[in-house]
Amino acid sequence: MLQSIGYFTRRVGRNLRQTPVLCSAAIGTVAVALMIIGFFAIVVINVQQVAQQWSREIQVVAYFDTVPDSDKVQQWKTKLEAMAEIERVQFVSRDQAFKRFKARLGDDADLLDGVGTDFLPASLEIVLFEDHRNKIGVESVVRQLKQIPELADVSYEPEWLERFDAFVGLLKVAGIVFGGFLLFAALFIVSNTIKLTLYARREEIEIMTLVGGTPLFIKMPFLIEGALQGVVGGVLALAGVWMIFTLVLQEGLYGILMVTGTDGILFLSPPQQWAMLSCGLILGLIGSVLSLRKFVRI
Amino acid sequence: MIQLYNVCMSYQKEATALTEFSLKVPKGDFLYLTGPSGAGKSTLLKLLYGAVKPSRGQILINGMNVTRMRSWRIPMLRRKLGIVFQDFKLISTRTLFENVAFPLEMQGKKRYEISSKVYQALKHVGLQGKLNRFPLQLSGGEQQRAAIARALVTDPLILLADEPTGNLDDDVTCEIMELFKGANARGTTVLLATHNREIIRRYPRRIVSLDKGRLVDDHTP
Repeated sequence: MLQSIGYFTRRVGRNLRQTPVLCSAAIGTVAVALMIIGFFAIVVINVQQVAQQWSREIQVVAYFDTVPDSDKVQQWKTKLEAMAEIERVQFVSRDQAFKRFKARLGDDADLLDGVGTDFLPASLEIVLFEDHRNKIGVESVVRQLKQIPELADVSYEPEWLERFDAFVGLLKVAGIVFGGFLLFAALFIVSNTIKLTLYARREEIEIMTLVGGTPLFIKMPFLIEGALQGVVGGVLALAGVWMIFTLVLQEGLYGILMVTGTDGILFLSPPQQWAMLSCGLILGLIGSVLSLRKFVRI
Repeated sequence: MIQLYNVCMSYQKEATALTEFSLKVPKGDFLYLTGPSGAGKSTLLKLLYGAVKPSRGQILINGMNVTRMRSWRIPMLRRKLGIVFQDFKLISTRTLFENVAFPLEMQGKKRYEISSKVYQALKHVGLQGKLNRFPLQLSGGEQQRAAIARALVTDPLILLADEPTGNLDDDVTCEIMELFKGANARGTTVLLATHNREIIRRYPRRIVSLDKGRLVDDHTP
């Protein structure tokens, strides 16, 4: 076993030394393909972040005709917060509602001069968990609220919810379609580049089969080489994406998304960076497997 | 050592490469497969090393039925064979040492064992001084000697040679034939496909003649 590992390592090292141009081409192809995927991922992540920010606006408000006593409010809060969809419940008194309204009017706040502070109703603002901030989640909460007679006067903007759901759905479909297409294109290109490197070594592979090499023994160094090229390509892609993100993308994307009220532009998180490296490894490995099928025939 | 029973082989429906071919080759035999181009010599050798499967018939090599052999066992068969080709099939980017070491590496031998055996094999064919040369730095005769060293380095039971002297001049052909004779003297069964009548005359051995895929003659002069 150790002997085989030693042999494979020596062979991989020798192959890389003997065909540096082809190896660099394979690494470069993986790097470029992953960079494109990386940019796409950054755009998707940031648009998702915008959608997530917008989703904070999704809440259900139950208005009261008469102000309930604090025991009753506490009782409802406890009951509602026990529901799976609800993250938190906040009671807004008439005074608090008035102050908020006044603050929202800004310079026009003087319009409220002479108006009593109790003309707005008290309410319970119900914030849902992120997973339930959609039409189905909101309607489920509304249905349950309406079973409590005092909380039957509910407001939740169904049209906005529909539009938001459609936007998130479109984002998901676009992510899957474009991401899938990019991955497939990357695999196709990487596999063909590796095929070229194997084509250059076809006589070596043929002789290996003729002198009694088993398919696995013949393939193993090429698989290790493919995986190694994939990982190196992944590291280069990550470095490239980070550099271009820092120099250009961060500012450019912020310029575009600023109007949506985003806090800042995100780079790939550490798990996503690991996923990118793994993606390089898998691309190199699958590219090698697909190419070797054609060349290693006993 | 080698037995073929009613072997038929065709690459396409119309073109038949071998028809009802039967042959027995005892251990330690040396035989020439001869006949015109397209007679089926190379096909017969390919059948023996499992590169193609017969359409019909049985092939036994050292007790193993090659016809029924699963593809994952073919490498085990090839480890018992040495194969020499007309075009040498040496890897141009590898040194002579690395080329000859290939079959031993494929068998997972230890490094010191590989070094020792490769050196002995190259010494045996007179190339011990050119271990680190690349094939293209050698003459045709030297390349074929290296290919023979690669075929013999594993001490094979059978040596299959497909027109091994086809690209070589007369003097070099004699050197190569001496190497085959030597291997045979050490117990290796040799099957040599050739249409060179001169070497058959100079090194008389059993002759199996083929024509259009059929056995037309089998005699020992």
